[in-house]
Amino acid sequence: MISIQKITKSYTAGQNQVTALDSIDLTIAISEFVLVKGESGSGKSTLLFVLGGMLKPSSGGIVVNKRDLFSLSEKERAIYRAKEIGFVFQSYHLLPYLNAMDNILLLNKLDNIAISKEEVILIAEELGIKDRLYHKPSELSAGEKQRVALVRAMITKPSIILADEPTGNLDEKNTVEVLHYLKKFQDNGGTVVMVTHGNLADSYATRTVNLHKGKIKNKS
Amino acid sequence: MSGATSKLKIMLVFKEIIHRKFNFLMGLLAMITIVALVVAFYTITKATQDETRLLTRNMGFNVRIIPVASDMNQFWLQGYSDLTMSEKVVDKMIEQKSVNYSHLTATLHKRIHWRDKEIILSGISKEEREPMGSNKSKMIFAIPPGKVYLGYELAQQFNLAEGETITFFDKEFEVIKTLSEVGSEDDIRVYFDLATLQDLTNMKGRVNEVMALNCMCSTKNGDPLTELRKELAKIAPEAKVIMNSTIADARENQRKMTDKYFALLFPIILIICAIWLGSVAMGNVKDRTHEIGIMRALGFSAWKISSLFLQRAIVIGVVGSVLGFALGTLVSMNLGPKIFNVTMVAVDPVFNLLYLAVLLGPLFAVLASMLPIVWAVNQDSAKLLNEH
Repeated sequence: MISIQKITKSYTAGQNQVTALDSIDLTIAISEFVLVKGESGSGKSTLLFVLGGMLKPSSGGIVVNKRDLFSLSEKERAIYRAKEIGFVFQSYHLLPYLNAMDNILLLNKLDNIAISKEEVILIAEELGIKDRLYHKPSELSAGEKQRVALVRAMITKPSIILADEPTGNLDEKNTVEVLHYLKKFQDNGGTVVMVTHGNLADSYATRTVNLHKGKIKNKS
Repeated sequence: MSGATSKLKIMLVFKEIIHRKFNFLMGLLAMITIVALVVAFYTITKATQDETRLLTRNMGFNVRIIPVASDMNQFWLQGYSDLTMSEKVVDKMIEQKSVNYSHLTATLHKRIHWRDKEIILSGISKEEREPMGSNKSKMIFAIPPGKVYLGYELAQQFNLAEGETITFFDKEFEVIKTLSEVGSEDDIRVYFDLATLQDLTNMKGRVNEVMALNCMCSTKNGDPLTELRKELAKIAPEAKVIMNSTIADARENQRKMTDKYFALLFPIILIICAIWLGSVAMGNVKDRTHEIGIMRALGFSAWKISSLFLQRAIVIGVVGSVLGFALGTLVSMNLGPKIFNVTMVAVDPVFNLLYLAVLLGPLFAVLASMLPIVWAVNQDSAKLLNEH
């Protein structure tokens, strides 16, 4: 369970003080598929990075699976991300000089993670990119890149997937496929928090949270 | 860390290097430059010092140890002391370690009247003694018993050739070498083995001079003669030291000058190359901010990310040191003799520098890259990802 308690995140941009998240309270249960929507600058991505322990809130707290995220050390938060979180981004964020397989096996550099090539091939086959594993990102289509990113996010069997507009660069066919895999992850007991602009994901989600100027406008 | 993880880590470093070849080559160039400059400078300096050592050595012994009571007017007028001392003074000298000198050679000289001419007989010890058993090439010839070397003037005046026999104190000696003209009293000298001359002149175990070559290494008080005199007064009070300061000073000044240049240039080279290497590392880090953001999102700790950059710096350090050593040595061997007029000795590779470079080069590369790495891992990873 994720419990967000009165989270505020503000920072200085030039001479202005910007409040990206303004005293947000939100609880996400295990195995929920939550969509976070809102216009640009509403704080959607900030919320996701705070949930991932990558951005420390100015005030408030987050409890994930009974642990106060920001009372953990930087190293412990890194372990939290490695073990419990899978990130999927709009621009895939694959290392350009590694092929798809090495991008996924990169996780083996983390402590206590041992992924075999066979495991990668198994999931890649399911996502339809088995034959593309030894290609560099520059040789892959947008849909293939996002599926590689999905394999990377799911292979460590995290409990939560944080997806930042994962379908933003994809055509409808690929969008549906990505949503399908996220849904499958949720069906298997995982929690999905996905930031999106579009409506294609609505039918997959259990709940939608609308953000406006850093505040939750309504929860549906 | 498992073997597979190490392999993956190395693979990651090398794939990144191949991906960003230009940046790597720039870093490598900085490393090669510093190592090559230091190696070339040191190698040539060493060669010029060796040459000076050889030159001054060829000019002759620069230290003379004579009996303490010698009349110096008589010594300088005659060219040697009339008095003698025990040849054991050599044993005492090789035991003192505070001043570095070599080629200790015991000699006995005697002026005699021979075939109506004044000549000098000189006995030279068979071996040159070195402090602490060090082994150096012999500066002076060794003469077998029963044989003599003849000075140029004597050979000319008495029309003597190699292979002829001459008599001293009723004993016959074969001339095995007639020496070239040297333009000094050596031209009227007959050289014997020391023991032979001691026997001939009834001066067994006695010498009137020990010649030596002082290396003129700087001593604690900067004055090796004072140091040597002080030491000798303690261990062999029967002897005193005279030093040819013209030769010695030239040698010492040359050494000091090269040391001064090196001391001045080395920090400048070091700072310039550190800034160069640091800038290249900063360029690499800035190029990889996106990558740093991805790794942070995947759960890489700051240390794990730093270690990737550090390994890259180590690769630059090791490869740059080896190539820099090769380049520096090649440059010094090919251009050194032309630029620095090193003529008498070969400019040889100093392989100890390679070991030193391979040890210190990576350390230097790591230190120069440290600031950019610390900057990189302290960046806001969410911001780094959002920027892309």
